[in-house]
Amino acid sequence: MSASLAYLQVWQQLPEALRAQRDAVWRHFEQHGFPRVSEEDWRYTDLSALNDADYAADASVSITTPAALAGWQRLVFCNGERIEGAVQAPQATLADDGITALNAALCRDGLNLHVGRGQQSAPLHLLTLDSGRTMSHLRHRVVLEAGSEATLLIDTRGDDSATLTTSVLEVEIGANAHLRLLRIQDIGTSATDLSRTQIRVARDARVEYVGLDLGGALVRHDLNVQLAEPGAQAQVHGVFAPSGRSHVDTHTRILHQAPHTTSREIYRGLVGGRAHAVFNGRIVVEKAAQKTDSEQNLASLLLSPGAEINAKPELEIYADDVKCAHGATCGQLDDMAIYYLRSRGLDADTARNLLLFAFAHDVLAHVIDDAARQEMERRLASRLPGSAAYEGLMEGLIA
Amino acid sequence: MLTIDNLHAKVGDKEILKGLSLTVNPGEVHAIMGPNGAGKSTLGHILAGREGYECTEGSVTFDGQNLLELETEARAAAGVFLGFQYPVEIPGVSNMYFLKAALNAQRKRRGESEIEATDFLAFVRQQIKKVGIEPAMLQRGVNEGFSGGEKKRNEILQMLVLQPKLMVLDETDSGLDIDALKMVSDGINAMRSPERSVVLVTHYQRLLDYVKPDFVHVLARGRIVKSGGPDFALELEERGYGWLDAA
Ligand SMILES: Nc1ncnc2c1ncn2[C@@H]1O[C@H](COP(=O)(O)OP(=O)(O)O)[C@@H](O)[C@H]1O
Ligand SMILES: [Mg+2]
Repeated sequence: MSASLAYLQVWQQLPEALRAQRDAVWRHFEQHGFPRVSEEDWRYTDLSALNDADYAADASVSITTPAALAGWQRLVFCNGERIEGAVQAPQATLADDGITALNAALCRDGLNLHVGRGQQSAPLHLLTLDSGRTMSHLRHRVVLEAGSEATLLIDTRGDDSATLTTSVLEVEIGANAHLRLLRIQDIGTSATDLSRTQIRVARDARVEYVGLDLGGALVRHDLNVQLAEPGAQAQVHGVFAPSGRSHVDTHTRILHQAPHTTSREIYRGLVGGRAHAVFNGRIVVEKAAQKTDSEQNLASLLLSPGAEINAKPELEIYADDVKCAHGATCGQLDDMAIYYLRSRGLDADTARNLLLFAFAHDVLAHVIDDAARQEMERRLASRLPGSAAYEGLMEGLIA
Repeated sequence: MLTIDNLHAKVGDKEILKGLSLTVNPGEVHAIMGPNGAGKSTLGHILAGREGYECTEGSVTFDGQNLLELETEARAAAGVFLGFQYPVEIPGVSNMYFLKAALNAQRKRRGESEIEATDFLAFVRQQIKKVGIEPAMLQRGVNEGFSGGEKKRNEILQMLVLQPKLMVLDETDSGLDIDALKMVSDGINAMRSPERSVVLVTHYQRLLDYVKPDFVHVLARGRIVKSGGPDFALELEERGYGWLDAA
């Protein structure tokens, strides 16, 4: 198939040398295009509109940069280019489907974080802002050498415009190293964001991921964690809380490839308005991965009659000596709990928000850094109905 | 304080209360007994304002105002407290936060200032001693994983903190052992005053030994079918409710 004009134009504007270098990935995108709903992993998320989409080369940016988080370093990208902070862009390597190939062909910037052996890097807030009828493609690479430690918050925001953003984050966590990875996905109601996070965890190393996905017209996140060596651990927790007409699709894949690997996955969904949430949590335990210890727990609340969710846990176990527990539930807010709170004097909105917040906090409580957790709490609370009641809502709330 | 006149109420399509009348004056303690399914809990929920519980006829006046017109939370702020027969678990919301949020919400609605955090902590620490609740339980989710008895004591704790005018306690004594019953009774007695009233829904004389009622009523088939003084409860416990059908 031929790529739509919009992508071709951006491609042709790239320097010749770069195009020569990226020829293979561009051709991959040209051949495959975006994934189609006929593919099992994409059955609920239709990207076909992107084929005819039209984007301006440049757009003036209408969003202002928010205040920095206390104690965090910051890197800000605006419409795909850096406006704050200094690091080198990485080489794009991963390109295994239409989206990652497009990203590899068109990306202009990104984070290239390398933490040396035994080093501890300052927490880094990677903020991307997008505005106007533009597209942007960012490629990030994070390498933690043995015994090192890093904290990274990937924070994507936008305004009301119909932007397209893609981002690919490749992570390698060396032996006994430790990455805390946070994500806030908070783009505008007309925007599309397609992202891939690919993490390889080495011996005795661990990743602790907590994500918060709040919306956008179309959001898809593929989060793949490879527990490649013995003793590797992953915590993969997230909240998705789309409202309005948002479509938020999260696919996580945790691959146990070596013995004595551990994964913990907790997801909480709050789906309101006429939003559509998709969650697919696949856990694969390969034959070699004896003594795997894996737990997955997914619970969602549908907050309005028009809200929809397709949630599917998938377990594939090929080893015989493993401990795998999983559960998935979907329900509504407990009317009896709302009544109970109201009977003690809380108004209906506050009662509802309290319950929603407590529900999601099962996940957010795992964010160790206070500034980051409070930021995530604030951003979640701002999306809850009747959020005016938010001030002071959370202090001391959580049991 | 509370005047219920010819109250008819339905839950869903089912008529449960069928012409119930009851007057509770300030300072009085009323006990309501009666067979299972008679409508005792329904009465409590009608007073507290549970959704889906609908008054079809009659009236309820509380402190001179039409109680049934008020929102659930407004009734709480006006001083109505229902001790639930089955207290609800609220996972993730800490007990302490809940108490404070509830009290401040009520105070705000009444036009009073919010209570200061340190004063409140000291106040709550006093109250928990009365009902035998461990301080650690304040940090746990509301009723989350509490035993039956702990839940009932937690209801009394909320009552002590919120200081309501009218306390409707729905089988708060059921399933308690003697020590817990004493604490619950002490809690209720601590709240008694010439300005406050208590409605005790119970099956057991035991509670009434500790909290002496002024009146004892039998609620059956959606109405108060017979009323008496404190000794009437003894007779009911002995004879059951069957003989009242004939009356
Ligand atoms: N939510 C409800 N929906 C329908 N019927 C109910 C509901 N709650 C109670 N009832 C019915 O109402 C009647 C009275 O119940 P209840 O007030 O709980 O009685 P009591 O507390 O005296 O045992 C019973 O027949 C019960 O089955
Ligand atoms: Mg009952």
